[in-house]
Amino acid sequence: MNLVDFLINWIANAPVTAVPYALAALGLIVAERSGVLNLTAEGLMLVGALAGAGTSLLFVGHPAVALLAAMVAASVVSLLFAVLVVVLRINQVIAGLSVVFFCQGLTGLIGTLAKWQNKQLSGLVPLKIWPLSEIPVIGRIFFMQDPVVYLTILIFIAVNFLLFRTMLGLRIRAVGENPAAADAAGVSVALHRILAIVAGSSLIGLAGGYISVVSVKLWVTGMTGGRGWIAVALVVFARWAPWPALAGALLFGCIEALIPHVAAAGIRVPQYLMLMLPYLATIAVMIWVGAKDHRGSQEPGALGQPHVREERR
Amino acid sequence: MASALQLVGIRKSFDGALALDGASFESQAGEVHALLGENGAGKSSLMNVAAGLYAPDAGSISIDGAPIALSGPAAARQHGIGMVHQHFKLVKPFTVAENVLLANPQPHFASGIRNIRAAIEQQVGELKFSIDPDRRIDTMTVAEQQQVEIVKVLVGGAKILILDEPTAVLTDAEAIGLLEIVRRLARAGTAVVLVTHKLQDVKRFADRVTIMRGGKTVAKLDPRHASAEELTELTVGQTSALPERSPHEGGPTRLNVGTLCYTRGDGRVMLDNASFHVRAGEIYGIAGVSGNGQAELAEALIGAIEPSSGEIWLDGTGDISRAGQTKRREAKIAAIPADRYAYALAGSLPISDNLAVAQIRSGRYGSVVKLDRAAMRQDALAAIADYDVQGVRSVGQKASLLSGGNAQKLVIAREFSREPDVVVAHSPSRGLDVRACAAVHQRLIAARERGAAIVLISEDLDEVLSLSDRIGVMSRGTIVGEFERPADRQAIGRAMVDHG
Amino acid sequence: MISPAPSASRGLGRVTLDVRQDLSPWKQAAFVGASLIFGLAISIVILAVAGIPPLTLASELAGVLTAENLSGVLVQAAPLILVGLGASLAFRIGFWNLGIEGQMIFGGIFAAAISIYDIGPQATRLVLMGSAAALGGALWVLLVAFLKTRFRVNEIIATLLLNYVAMYFLFHLLYGAWQDAKTAFPQSTPFRPFERLGDIGYGVNSGLLIAIAGVLAAGWLIHLSRIGFYTRFISANPRMAKIVGVPVQTATIWIIAASGACSGLAGFVNVASQEGRLTQSYANGYVFSGVLIAFLSRNDPIVIAIVGFLIAVLFITGQTLQVFYQIPFTMVQMIEAIIVMAVASSEFLIRHRIRWLR
Repeated sequence: MNLVDFLINWIANAPVTAVPYALAALGLIVAERSGVLNLTAEGLMLVGALAGAGTSLLFVGHPAVALLAAMVAASVVSLLFAVLVVVLRINQVIAGLSVVFFCQGLTGLIGTLAKWQNKQLSGLVPLKIWPLSEIPVIGRIFFMQDPVVYLTILIFIAVNFLLFRTMLGLRIRAVGENPAAADAAGVSVALHRILAIVAGSSLIGLAGGYISVVSVKLWVTGMTGGRGWIAVALVVFARWAPWPALAGALLFGCIEALIPHVAAAGIRVPQYLMLMLPYLATIAVMIWVGAKDHRGSQEPGALGQPHVREERR
Repeated sequence: MASALQLVGIRKSFDGALALDGASFESQAGEVHALLGENGAGKSSLMNVAAGLYAPDAGSISIDGAPIALSGPAAARQHGIGMVHQHFKLVKPFTVAENVLLANPQPHFASGIRNIRAAIEQQVGELKFSIDPDRRIDTMTVAEQQQVEIVKVLVGGAKILILDEPTAVLTDAEAIGLLEIVRRLARAGTAVVLVTHKLQDVKRFADRVTIMRGGKTVAKLDPRHASAEELTELTVGQTSALPERSPHEGGPTRLNVGTLCYTRGDGRVMLDNASFHVRAGEIYGIAGVSGNGQAELAEALIGAIEPSSGEIWLDGTGDISRAGQTKRREAKIAAIPADRYAYALAGSLPISDNLAVAQIRSGRYGSVVKLDRAAMRQDALAAIADYDVQGVRSVGQKASLLSGGNAQKLVIAREFSREPDVVVAHSPSRGLDVRACAAVHQRLIAARERGAAIVLISEDLDEVLSLSDRIGVMSRGTIVGEFERPADRQAIGRAMVDHG
Repeated sequence: MISPAPSASRGLGRVTLDVRQDLSPWKQAAFVGASLIFGLAISIVILAVAGIPPLTLASELAGVLTAENLSGVLVQAAPLILVGLGASLAFRIGFWNLGIEGQMIFGGIFAAAISIYDIGPQATRLVLMGSAAALGGALWVLLVAFLKTRFRVNEIIATLLLNYVAMYFLFHLLYGAWQDAKTAFPQSTPFRPFERLGDIGYGVNSGLLIAIAGVLAAGWLIHLSRIGFYTRFISANPRMAKIVGVPVQTATIWIIAASGACSGLAGFVNVASQEGRLTQSYANGYVFSGVLIAFLSRNDPIVIAIVGFLIAVLFITGQTLQVFYQIPFTMVQMIEAIIVMAVASSEFLIRHRIRWLR
């Protein structure tokens, strides 16, 4: 196997591994832009993955239906998180962690009792954009991906427009930057935060559903394997801006895609040390972010702070 | 003619503490109506009720004689009530136009921004402001941000304009400019409510004044027919004199601040070669318009931030500008910061712990392996009695349950317990009532009599003038002039503005 | 020209929230107790849906609490109490240590290394293994403390990610250099008898002694020592603590190290008592258990011992349900999460007074 084949195989696979990171990070950005510190991705991705796999197994329909179910399921569960942090104002870290471990437990329970473990799913056929797909190298990498890869780019454009070019986006960002100002301007802080959490969570659910329905084509308990935490780190890396998050997701997609290809290429690297790579890369990226100065960051001013209007010391 | 805005019998309590106790207020279209009172008198709370932010427990609100119910800030705006809060309600990373759009929503963002920009430019032209609708708020000065707030309210078509302490953050010249604009707005038919604690503002710019004290409205009169003394007595209820002080004798230099510089994380230079010295037995006042580096100077002196360069030299200790905690503590420097709950007290911890923490390392309260709780308790009881800290049910009670004045006394009790050589006090009477304020001032004078060198940093020029032996004027991060007691108020005012 | 949006509430009046300054401890306990019961009720309903009727659950629970099964509960309680202590020490200074599993793994690895390389005399072998485990856990968490102070790396994500790194490092050893040649399983050679934590009579495992010693030491540290006094200020107001002369950085480092050491010891107790060798899964499910125990006990060491015991009952019941009713063990984690959510919600009622205004 020569180097060029290795590189093409590797890069052509990167979008598939990048999509979950990209969608989950984007979903987190939407929620965090409203000022809610959101750690729930790891749990909600599992909910999406299970819902997608379950829908595929129960109603053998188009995978699009399964992905839609993944989005809805994650949104519904995220309502629980929204109530905890927005209405009851409990510590957002505790709430986020609880939701993650709740989802891990729940999906493990349902997946096992329904006997959905390790059952093959039909998956999605790659979309060949003819005639561009016939171009050597470029065609393989850019124009023979599955539809969700292209959809992801459209979603990024749409969310970017929504956040920065609509009244709703203006309100969501205002609530995240300065809830007291938004409140005085007559914007309901609670409503916009709940909306941002639920809407963002649908993207996180899609990310999870993509893993089980399109990428792995199986449900396995705990199958997200920390990708949700990496997505949380990606948001910090992207400084809460959508396009850098997409770039970061591609970077992590490349790293993750490398792991099976190294083994397939017959390169002898200890398998388990290789599996550490995405996590170590995430920590390396976080060190890099922490070491540089923070002037360009778009971190929401009120991230993690519950809003109580009548509070007085 | 019906009043433009009328509030009758407003009551509001926060967790049992009564903030408004049957307060009433009315203002007419076309007049500037001042709402005068001390800090904590309930002025802002009353106006927050009018602006729909606080729901009153009892009382009624009417506009042009018709009673209304306010479900929130948006409803207040619908009724033409607009409020410019003391702490501006602006989203910092947004542009002017985006902020105005947020408060005055439009169906579509793109066309909305266009409409809003036109509306802003119209208002800016009428008011003779200089605001670019596309500038980000965080690049603007405080005075410019205030203009944005006013424009924001007027674009919404407010008929009743409430300004909460608008002159507190402005230089004298800026304040006069603002109040003239306010007068013009009133002449054009707006009902303007000017919430303030400054007598000069009331005397010069208000048509009528309502005075609040202890959550009640106590008087309503024409300020031109009342003397300053009458107004003071109505707001304060009683007046108190400063304690006797011995004539100032210059002792040896205790504290020398040399070419101190500090650049904030966002790149703004907050201290720019600030230099001054303070002698033993002297109160050195630092006056200036808020935001000219006073906060950073105080933080550098008490060790909350590390200056970029320069020195803070203490007699007998040496330079402490970058010293560790141990050396700082040995230096016997007392810190009375402006924000008590940020820098001086742990609100959720007991009073006794808050008192003991400064001396815990000396071994006074037990060894490393075993604390001596009894000693802490004993000392706390003694300090509470000595410093007349009121409202203490037990020394184990949370410090945050104390009122502002008593919390300040607690801080002073702790900081003075070690007989400090140097005292750094930053706005020590902020938010205190008259009695507590007098108690704090007495303590500072007593420390001066004992021979301590005292740095008094305050944005309240009256406080600086009445206490200081010498006054340094701070502007743009440096000391631009020094004045001996008795200092000329006008000259200091000019120094504050000329360089700012 | 400008028409404001309609306001959110109309007609019915408004709900306002006041912040309560103080509420009597009895009322607080009542709120917490009620929410705990609420959380358990939801858990029972979910289990009933999953096929465990409440009566079956009750009889299984009674079975766990019989004399012969109680020793199993006590063996399980030891690591849970230790991770509870570990989490609570870190939380006391505002450090989110979610790397408990990674620290347990390294505690186990360090202890196993002493056994595998046969270091030190037999008589003190266990002491050496325990010390090594504490050191391993402490070093693994101090790595994050360093990244946080030096590079402002968020410790929540860093500790969580390092759990995965530690897990794969353990796999690397168990599928490689440290694999027991006699079996094909990913586990190390068994520890020798003098390298194992045995019974000390009455069915009580000596691992529990380590946990009790940990509780006493943490109790002294928090309530009596000067460093405990410092921790209260560091968590209540770190800026203020620094200004009034609290050695914030030194105290923080020591507390974080102690936190990691507790988790490392938990790993040691698990490999040296329950498993008797290094295995793949001796740290599974402990991160959130640590968070839960610390949270429910409000970071108080004595309460941690009690809550740790109760969670051990939950663990053993979960294992029983797994074996006899095929309920996956992740169910335990779900119940833990429900309890935390319920109790955390009661904080809202404790801190706020809700009023309806006309």
